[in-house]
Amino acid sequence: MEILDLSQKAPVDFIRLGSVSLKDVADLSLRPKCVDLQKAGFEEFRYADEEGFIAEIGKQHPDPIRLTPTNEAIQVLALDTSSIELGETDAGLLCAVRGTVVQKDREGYRYTRYGPFIFHITEANKEYLYNGLRQIYFGTNDASPTPNVLWMPGRIRNVLERWLQGQLSQACEDSIILWDGSLTAWTIDSPVALIGELLRAARSGGNVVLAISKKTRFTLSGQRVADLIDDRDAPCLLDLDETIRREYGSYLCFFGRVYAAKFIPSCFSFRLDIDRKVSEEAGIDAVQKLIGNDLVVESYPETLRLAHILSKFSASEVIGMQRLVTENYDIRVVSRPDVRQVLFGPYGGGRSSSVGGEELL
Amino acid sequence: MMQIYKIDGINVQVICCPPEDINKGDYVLVEDLATSKALVIQVVNSGYVNVPGILEDILRASSTEKVEGVDLDPLEMRSFVNIIKDAELLTCKIRGAIEKGKLSNDVNWIPSRSTSRLKKLPDEDLIKLAGIGGEEAVDIGVSKGGGKVSINISSIDGKMNIITGKKETGKSHLSKLLLLRLVSRGGICIVFDVNGEYVNLGYTKGERKTAIHDKFIPLTPGKDFKISLQYAGPGVLLRIMESVLDLPATSAWEFRRIWNELRAKGALRLEYMRAAIRAVSNNYIQDALLRRFESLISTNFFTDDVEKATTLDKVLEKVSRGGAIIINLQNMTSKFRQIVVEFMLSKLSQLLEDWFLRAIFLFAEEAHLYVRETYWDDIVTRMRHLGVFTTFITNQPDSISESVYRQADNIFLFNFTNEHDLEIVSKASRVDVETVNVIARQLPLHHCLMLGKVLNDFPMIVRIDSLDEETMGETRLFFANPKQK
Repeated sequence: MEILDLSQKAPVDFIRLGSVSLKDVADLSLRPKCVDLQKAGFEEFRYADEEGFIAEIGKQHPDPIRLTPTNEAIQVLALDTSSIELGETDAGLLCAVRGTVVQKDREGYRYTRYGPFIFHITEANKEYLYNGLRQIYFGTNDASPTPNVLWMPGRIRNVLERWLQGQLSQACEDSIILWDGSLTAWTIDSPVALIGELLRAARSGGNVVLAISKKTRFTLSGQRVADLIDDRDAPCLLDLDETIRREYGSYLCFFGRVYAAKFIPSCFSFRLDIDRKVSEEAGIDAVQKLIGNDLVVESYPETLRLAHILSKFSASEVIGMQRLVTENYDIRVVSRPDVRQVLFGPYGGGRSSSVGGEELL
Repeated sequence: MMQIYKIDGINVQVICCPPEDINKGDYVLVEDLATSKALVIQVVNSGYVNVPGILEDILRASSTEKVEGVDLDPLEMRSFVNIIKDAELLTCKIRGAIEKGKLSNDVNWIPSRSTSRLKKLPDEDLIKLAGIGGEEAVDIGVSKGGGKVSINISSIDGKMNIITGKKETGKSHLSKLLLLRLVSRGGICIVFDVNGEYVNLGYTKGERKTAIHDKFIPLTPGKDFKISLQYAGPGVLLRIMESVLDLPATSAWEFRRIWNELRAKGALRLEYMRAAIRAVSNNYIQDALLRRFESLISTNFFTDDVEKATTLDKVLEKVSRGGAIIINLQNMTSKFRQIVVEFMLSKLSQLLEDWFLRAIFLFAEEAHLYVRETYWDDIVTRMRHLGVFTTFITNQPDSISESVYRQADNIFLFNFTNEHDLEIVSKASRVDVETVNVIARQLPLHHCLMLGKVLNDFPMIVRIDSLDEETMGETRLFFANPKQK
C-alpha cells in the first residue's frame, strides 16, 4: 500500500482569489463576529432539505444485511470541509474555509489540512469569486447565478470540498474514500455531471466512495430507522434504496444506493450511500473492510470523525483570523452591537457569551 | 500590547496580547491621555486570558494527539492563533498615581479603558519617580530588571523591620548587609547573634581585617562579657529573677532587702550575697532565692573582679562613631540567653532614658528564643519611643507577635511556600494578601520582596548584593569539602 502524499497539491487559486478579495478591505471597518460556535456555520444549509426523508415501506420491514468486519488491509481516506464567518465589513463579509483529508493505513492516521483561506465577499465580487472558482475547479464555463452574500461562504466551502474529492479520486487506488454527506445530486453545489465525474474517477482507480450523513433522519411509516434495527443485528445495513427512490427519485438524482447503517450495537445509525455503479456485493464488501480497518466509535468511522474535527474552526482560531486580517490588511475593528441584546436585554434568549463564568473578550 | 480589562478598587486586570516581557513584581504605567494623569500599577499575578473556545481547542488537540499531519496554511494563521492562546491576563495592584509629573496618592479615578496607553515602567524610572534612595542612599541590591536599588538610610532610622523567609533564602545575609550599611554611616547597632554568624563581620572572606574591622565588637557573655552586681543594679537583677527565673513576689521583697543591706555596708559582692541569702530565716524563701542566685552565678555572666567586669556604657563608647556590638548567644542555654537579653534590654532602656545614647539599632535573630512574650509590646511601643529600632530576623513568622507585624514599617520577605507562614506575613499592614501570597512563593534564592517605607511603599523584588565580609551564614554539611572547617 503506497503512502499518499497530498501535501504537494495546494488549491493555489483559493489563495490567489482570497488574496485578491482581501485587497478591497483596506480602510473598511470590520464588525467581528461574536464567537459562538454552538451556532453552526454556513455549512448547515447544505443538507437542510435532506434532513427528514420520510418513506412509506408498508408493513414489511426490510431485512438487515449483517456485516462481518474484514481485516484485509485497505487504505481508508476521509475528507471534510468547513466555513465560518469572521465578521461583517461595510461592503460585505469576511469568511474562512478549510478542508482536511485524513488517511488511515497500516502506519496509523495522518492528515493533510488545507487552509484556512480567507475571503472578503461583497455584492461586487461574489460573482467573480464564485464563477472563478467553479471555472477553475469544476472546469465549467457556464456562469452560475450566485446566491446572497450570506450563503457564499458555504458555496466556496463546497468548491473546496469538491476539489478535495477530485484530488482523492485521482490520487488514490484501491481505497475506500469517505465523503461527509450523501451521493445525491440536487443543488447547484452538487451538479449531476460533477458528482458523476468524481465517482467515475474514483472507480477507475479501484476505489469505492462511501458517503456518511449525520444529518439525514429517516422515518419509515412514522418510525425512526434506528428503532427498526435490532441491536443484535449490528453491525448491519438496512437497504432503503428502493423505498427512498420511490419517494424522491423523481426530483433527486441518487448516485448512491441508500442504506441505514448501524456499526455498533446501542449506538447511532447513519445514512450511508454507496456508489451505485459499484456492484452491490463490492459495496457491502467495502463497508466490511471499512469497519475491519478503521476504528468505529459511536458507530462512526474514526477517519471521518478526525477529518471533521480537524476542519472545524475553534473560537480561538476565529479570533486569530480576525487579528490576522486587521494586522495584515489595514481594516479597522469596530464593536458590533448585538441587536437582540439591545432590544431585549437579558430576555433576549440568546446564549450569553461566557466561558467559565468569565466575560468574553 | 497591553490593555485595561477591569478595574475594581485597587485591583486592575490587564490583557497582554501578544505577551510581553512582563513578570510578577514589574510595574506598569497606565497613561490616561485625556487627563494627562497616570496610574502606577504593579503586576502581582499573571495567567492566561480565558479565551473563548480554548477548552475546545485543548480537547481537540488531545483527540488528534496521535495523528501526524501537514498543515498547508498559506496565511500562517497558526502564529496568530498562538498569540491569542498565549494572551496573558495580568493581575495588578494600584500603587500610586502621577499627576503633573509628580507622584500622587490620589488614585480615586479610573483611566480610560479605550484610550489609555500602557507601558512597562523600568525599575530605574520607578526608583527615580518614587524618590527611593536620595542623598543618604546605601546600595542594597539589584532589581529584577537590573536597576541598582539603593535605599535611604533614614528609611530604617526610627523604624521597625522584619526580615523573614524560609531557611537558606538569604535572610541573615540581608541583615548583615543592612548592619554593615548602618555601621558605615555611623549607626550604633546591637546584634543578638544566636548562631554566632556575625562575630566575624570585621573580616573578609580571606580572613583579612576589613576597613571597618574595629567597629565590630563581638562579646561572648560569660567569657569576655561579664558584669558586676553593682553595674547590673537591683532593678535589672530583680527583673531577671522575676521574669526569667520566675522568682515569687515575697522572695523578691526579701532579695531587695538583702540588696539594700549589702549596699549600705558596701558589700555588694557575690560571696556576701550568697551568705546573706543563706542567713534568711524562712527556709522556703531562702531556698527560692538560693536556687535562683546559683543559676545566675553558674552562667559566669556575673563577676566581682573589677578588671574582668565590663560595662555597656564603656563598650558603647567604643562604637560611639558607628559600630556594632555583637552579643554572641551561640551554645548558650535558653535561660542564659534570656538572662543576657533581659540585662541588655533593661540596660539599654536605662541608657536611652538617661540620654546616654540617642538611639540604637537592634538586630534580633530568632527573637522568640530569648525574648519573653510580654516583651514584644514593650519593644514595639515603649522601647521604640526610647530609640530602640529593631530588626527582627526569623524563619518562623508565627514566632513573632501579630502586633509586631501590624506595626512593622518595613518587611523584607524572602521565599515562603508554606500557606500558614504566608498568611501570618500578610497580616502586616503595609502589604496586601495577594502580593505576599503570589510573589513570595516564587522568589528565587537571595531575592527579596521589599515592602514598606524603605521603598516608599512601592514593593519591589530585589536581588540582594553579595558581601565581601565573612558572613558565616552557610549551613555546616556532613558531606562537605574536607577543607571546610
